Amino acid sequence: MSPSPHHTSERELFRLEATVGLVLRAGVMLSSACLALGLVLSLSGAAAVSPAGLLLQIGILALLATPIARVVVSTAEYISERDWRFTTLTLIVLVELLASVVAALMFGRKL
Amino acid sequence: MPAVTASLVLIIFLAGTIAGSLGALLGLGGGVFLVPFLNLGLGFPFTVAAAISLTTVIATSSTVSASRTGKHLINMKLGMLLEVATAGGSLLGGLTAQLIAQATLQKLFGVLSALVGIIMLSRVRRRNVILDPNIDPGVLGGRYHEDESGGVVTYRVKRLPVAIAASFFAGNVSSLLGIGGGFIKVPVLNAWCGIPMRAAAATSAFMIGVTATAGAIIYYGHGQLVPALAATAVLGVQLGSWGGMRFGAAAPVKWLKVLMAVVLFIISAMMFARGMR
Repeated sequence: MSPSPHHTSERELFRLEATVGLVLRAGVMLSSACLALGLVLSLSGAAAVSPAGLLLQIGILALLATPIARVVVSTAEYISERDWRFTTLTLIVLVELLASVVAALMFGRKL
Repeated sequence: MPAVTASLVLIIFLAGTIAGSLGALLGLGGGVFLVPFLNLGLGFPFTVAAAISLTTVIATSSTVSASRTGKHLINMKLGMLLEVATAGGSLLGGLTAQLIAQATLQKLFGVLSALVGIIMLSRVRRRNVILDPNIDPGVLGGRYHEDESGGVVTYRVKRLPVAIAASFFAGNVSSLLGIGGGFIKVPVLNAWCGIPMRAAAATSAFMIGVTATAGAIIYYGHGQLVPALAATAVLGVQLGSWGGMRFGAAAPVKWLKVLMAVVLFIISAMMFARGMR
């Protein structure tokens, strides 16, 4: 296998994968724990505005935030590598995600 | 909006488990089974069914991708480039889903599930591995160690505009109909863009989390995402796909694909029948 110095180095690629893996794992664990606990509590008879309802909301938001956090750490990683092409691309993805948050907020619902 | 009862939670949990394990066995998300079950079986509005399904898509993407990082199987650069297209498509899909009549969404889902069935049947025997470690993968290509053959697989990306167009379309369909969209991207990336099957599947699974999030946020803003039911479906699908991946190696996948293609054609007919009423 010949090394190709003008492309992302093996070490940088490995670091990006490790960071992304960490963010995804943490997000899944946080959201699954909140969703499971919230679900059990709400089935045991609590009302919507309660620790159960709050846990479910946190769980859903953590679930939605995980892929966004993954894009944010990727952007940071590309900035530190001075890879402006991929910094721009990941920033565009973040703008698109932000646009969907703005669209959601415009419908006047909590987020 | 469906009321949350203990029996409904149990039913959705079981449906999620089945959809998740089938998804893991067939290399699909479970959404193509979950959406018709929630919409036709339980009578939820289509948008509520799609919103629940999208949360399971996000959870599956995050879990599966977390377990695959470090193997270079996910092509991160290609994934992040194509995400520009999938997230844009998904944003538009989430917005238009609010404007389209349920009957139209059902007919579209009917077309789509028939298409998934046909693609599944046409790919029953296909395997695609390129073994040439000497080529330069370029900026977007990749290189990974393949466990089955013990060799290093290197590939270049061909026909990038085709990959971008397919990704936009997949993102659009994803949030419009509540599915992952991998069945559109994976065959295109594999057959036309030179990406080996396993890398195409891993990269697609990596992308669908961001794709589905762009759509799910819009459903959430519309109050169509019922947290307790989404939680139930997510936990069911997580359990199912864990089981499917762990015990799925011994399953006769070829047979299962034919069976599931038949199920998809039935789903397609039912969605059409409901959409026509």
